[in-house]
Amino acid sequence: MWASIAWRLFWRELSRGELWVIAFALFLAVGSVVSLSGITEGVKSALMQRSAQFIAADKVLRSSQPFEQRIVDKAEQLQLKTAQQMQFDSMLFAGDNLRLATIKVVSSSYPLRGELVLKRGNVITATEAATLTPGQLFLEARLFDLLGVAVGDEIELGMSRLQVGGVIVNEPDAPLSVFGGAPRVIMHLDDVAATEIVQPGSRIGYRYLFAGSTENLQQFESELTPQLSVHQRWQKMDRESAIGSALQRAERFLLLAGLLGIVLAACAAAVAASRYSQRHTQAVAVIKALGATTAQIRLIYGSHLLLVVLFSLLCGLIAGQVAIGAVQWGIQLYLPDYRAEFSMRPLWLGSLTCMICALLFAARPMWRLAATPAIEVLKRPAAKFTLDTLQWLTGAAAIWALMWLFSGELVLSIGLFLLCAGFAAILMASAAVLVRLAKPMAAGQSSARKLALANLKRRLWANSFQLITFSLAIFLALLLYFLRAELIGQWQRQIPVGAPNQFLVNITESQRSVLDSFAAEHQLELGQYYPVVRGRLTAINDEQLQQEATKDDRSQQRVGVGRELNLTWLSQLPDNNQLLSGSWFSRDAKAQVSVEAEIAERLEVKLGDSLVFSIGGQMVTAKVSSIRKVDWNSLQPNFYMILSPDLLADFPATYINAFYLSAERTALLNQLARLLPTVTVISVDNIIAQVNDIIAQVTIALSFILLIICIAAALVLVAQVQATLEQREQELAILRTLGARYAFLRNALLLEFALLGAMAGGFATLLAEVMLLTVQQRVFELPFSPHYNLWWMGPVLGIVMVTLLGWWQLKRLLRIPGAQLMRKVLQG
Amino acid sequence: MNTPEVHINAVKLAKTVKLTEGSLTILHDISLTINRGETVAIVGASGSGKSTLLSLLAGLDLPSHGEVYLAGRPLHTLSEDERAAVRAADVGFVFQSFLLLPSLTALENITLPAELAGIKDARSRGLALLEQVGLSARADFFPAQLSGGEQQRVAIARAFITRPAVLFADEPSANLDAATGQKIEDLLFTLNAEQGTTLVLVTHNNDLAQRCQRQYRMQAGRFIDSDLKGLANVG
Repeated sequence: MWASIAWRLFWRELSRGELWVIAFALFLAVGSVVSLSGITEGVKSALMQRSAQFIAADKVLRSSQPFEQRIVDKAEQLQLKTAQQMQFDSMLFAGDNLRLATIKVVSSSYPLRGELVLKRGNVITATEAATLTPGQLFLEARLFDLLGVAVGDEIELGMSRLQVGGVIVNEPDAPLSVFGGAPRVIMHLDDVAATEIVQPGSRIGYRYLFAGSTENLQQFESELTPQLSVHQRWQKMDRESAIGSALQRAERFLLLAGLLGIVLAACAAAVAASRYSQRHTQAVAVIKALGATTAQIRLIYGSHLLLVVLFSLLCGLIAGQVAIGAVQWGIQLYLPDYRAEFSMRPLWLGSLTCMICALLFAARPMWRLAATPAIEVLKRPAAKFTLDTLQWLTGAAAIWALMWLFSGELVLSIGLFLLCAGFAAILMASAAVLVRLAKPMAAGQSSARKLALANLKRRLWANSFQLITFSLAIFLALLLYFLRAELIGQWQRQIPVGAPNQFLVNITESQRSVLDSFAAEHQLELGQYYPVVRGRLTAINDEQLQQEATKDDRSQQRVGVGRELNLTWLSQLPDNNQLLSGSWFSRDAKAQVSVEAEIAERLEVKLGDSLVFSIGGQMVTAKVSSIRKVDWNSLQPNFYMILSPDLLADFPATYINAFYLSAERTALLNQLARLLPTVTVISVDNIIAQVNDIIAQVTIALSFILLIICIAAALVLVAQVQATLEQREQELAILRTLGARYAFLRNALLLEFALLGAMAGGFATLLAEVMLLTVQQRVFELPFSPHYNLWWMGPVLGIVMVTLLGWWQLKRLLRIPGAQLMRKVLQG
Repeated sequence: MNTPEVHINAVKLAKTVKLTEGSLTILHDISLTINRGETVAIVGASGSGKSTLLSLLAGLDLPSHGEVYLAGRPLHTLSEDERAAVRAADVGFVFQSFLLLPSLTALENITLPAELAGIKDARSRGLALLEQVGLSARADFFPAQLSGGEQQRVAIARAFITRPAVLFADEPSANLDAATGQKIEDLLFTLNAEQGTTLVLVTHNNDLAQRCQRQYRMQAGRFIDSDLKGLANVG
């Protein structure tokens, strides 16, 4: 019986449009959760996949011990693809020529991600493709000249003779940060045993490369990690590319924006449900007077809510999935080999969000509605339906639960929740002050203005929730708009237009003048020459360092860096370095060293410690005078150790320099290679292009989120204005009956909303500025600078948004003839 | 001579409401008896407490003191839902402002109480009543599409669909012009007579009150000068 009544009422309510606001709010909450979490995952996975190309795999396990078959077997059990790679420095002999080179040994399946490009020829412009087969060596271009060899010649490596197969054109995981390394050579894993280079004690880096689905990789990592020894560690991704921190910030931002969007949508749902309940109080009283029990009413209205929830959920899931699909498609345009992965997480997250919103925001007003006593039927107007304490509490709990659910971070969610609550409290207090001020202001104003002020004052008190939600909505829109600009600006600053994209390494003292004249001739702007000397850290405070980790974990001896370091000397602190402790070299500094913070921590080095370096067989001792933080994401030469100029000036050094070369002039690089054959040119064009692509992708995602936030904010405004519709109808009917003209009512209405918008915009601006300045200083580490645009945009946005939305919803009421309006009001 | 059956019996009813400034007693010590099939008017000016009395007699509200029985059932001891069940089975209402559900058609408004009471032939009963109130052609109209008089006719049809033993009417013609109001009153009394329903009518209109067999006059929450014919059986 109740079902047929419920069904009939449901369809009629749908056509009356009241349930749509609730439905749309829930739809928006679900849609934004699904799309945001899906898009975040998509962008993240795209970035991971792109970063994977920098390490030629999805995951890399580094080891100083020979390969263990059990690790490979375990990976293969989990359907992961594997490859092995070894790296060591060794001498190459070709006739009378000999040269130290970095030998990279790879298995046939290398690389798992990215592309290894080898060509049969001795220059990178060679056209004939080649593949790595046992018995062959592929050389970096400069080695052909240095060794005086050509394709097909034989080179001795250890005890083996191997044939030159061609040139390395692109090596996906070539080191970026290690400028000035030895020339590189690639050979096959099958040949390594015959060279007899791998002996106990020889310094060899082993890498296991893995690729596969995220889920399998995660399982693999979590199972394998506890079994790893001190010699084995997972390679961190973020050091390998300039996108690690950009990705992290974008993720944080998406998270924050998503949370706030949900909160807004949930508020809209709560307001709409309250209004719905308010409007149905009398209907429920009538039905009860006619003999319905509370349980029957709950079934009727509960089924309405359930249908709305199911409908919104379904639409939200579909819309969210469509948005994810669109973004994945967009990513595929950038990344042709991007593998879109379907994830259930956004879907269940969206469903859970919908249930929480419905239960904790919308169900409470509906529950109270059903408890309306039958006696209300004789009261007119029906009792005002205000938010009760329980609803405030359940609403607050719901907001926090959503924040926690979505972020998965307890502290962040509590912090953000308290922040929102604090803002609400400040707004409430400010609204109280303003309303008090509005009274004296009203005196001596024109009657339309008086009416507007009077209306504003009365309604603000009747529902100060309205001003809070308006302000919060505008605040969020402003905050996200400016944060987005800040974030994008920061990324762009990281790689400014015209930043050096070609790095020159191994420049000898005598080559500097050749390079300078070449640069002058071709209008190239060379940067600073960084001197580089290779050296090994051998002791700290008279304590000799182990050069490798040993099996004896209890050894008290400190483990060194394990390879030669690029040492430089500079009189000035580089721009992208930041002193954490100590002070930079004074003009007459003697025997000092500035150490990079991470390596200082790893080596347990403190200010004042003495470091002993072995440079070309000589020992040099330097005292640690400062610890520096280095921005590894900057595409600049970075150094672990910077020594005071007095120490190294007498050692023969090579230099690093960099310049910007536009894409159409790359042919100059060939000229340069002929002119200075021993200088290595490292082009970071690809990396810059990739970073720019990623910035573009993330920017699109951020704009999409801003759009969602704006829609959610507008929806809150609509729900709020709708909530006062009834009261306005009554007032308008009375005013019209009393002879108020259309123009008068229109002006009063527009003014009321403009004032409300200005107030909300003003509050929003103030809060947004405080928040932005905090974020600017805490997160982006930028100097304090006010956002002047915000100060006009906030109030203007408030006035325009609130007035337009208010007018759009209420203009219909103004057009209804007075008599008809009166009848409508009288008939309820 | 048959002893009339007592249908509604109120004993020393009082209603006090709490206000922020203290409490206000709306009804003082009201006792009355209404027999089955009787038509009784409760007359008084605005604020005299007549609507409050009606709400207690119909079980819409509970008294602060006193007892009220409807067909022998002690309404003052029943819960909201138990009283709802009593209303569903035995009570019909006609309100001053009609109180039709705006989202249901005329016919659906009429059949609503029957559906709530689980009556199977609700639709055919509803159509018959529409016919009786002269609104067959308006069955699928929504309240907003009907005039005030038409809406009240629908409300009367709704009140009779469950064939209630007692009908409570709260100022049924107050919102209507004199001619329409007259027609509505005629319709109410006609249907009442046909179904032998006990009618309790609250009004400030003396002419309307005179059409009832008995009148209770109220002032400031007390009876004054009531027609005492029916009080013989107060017990």
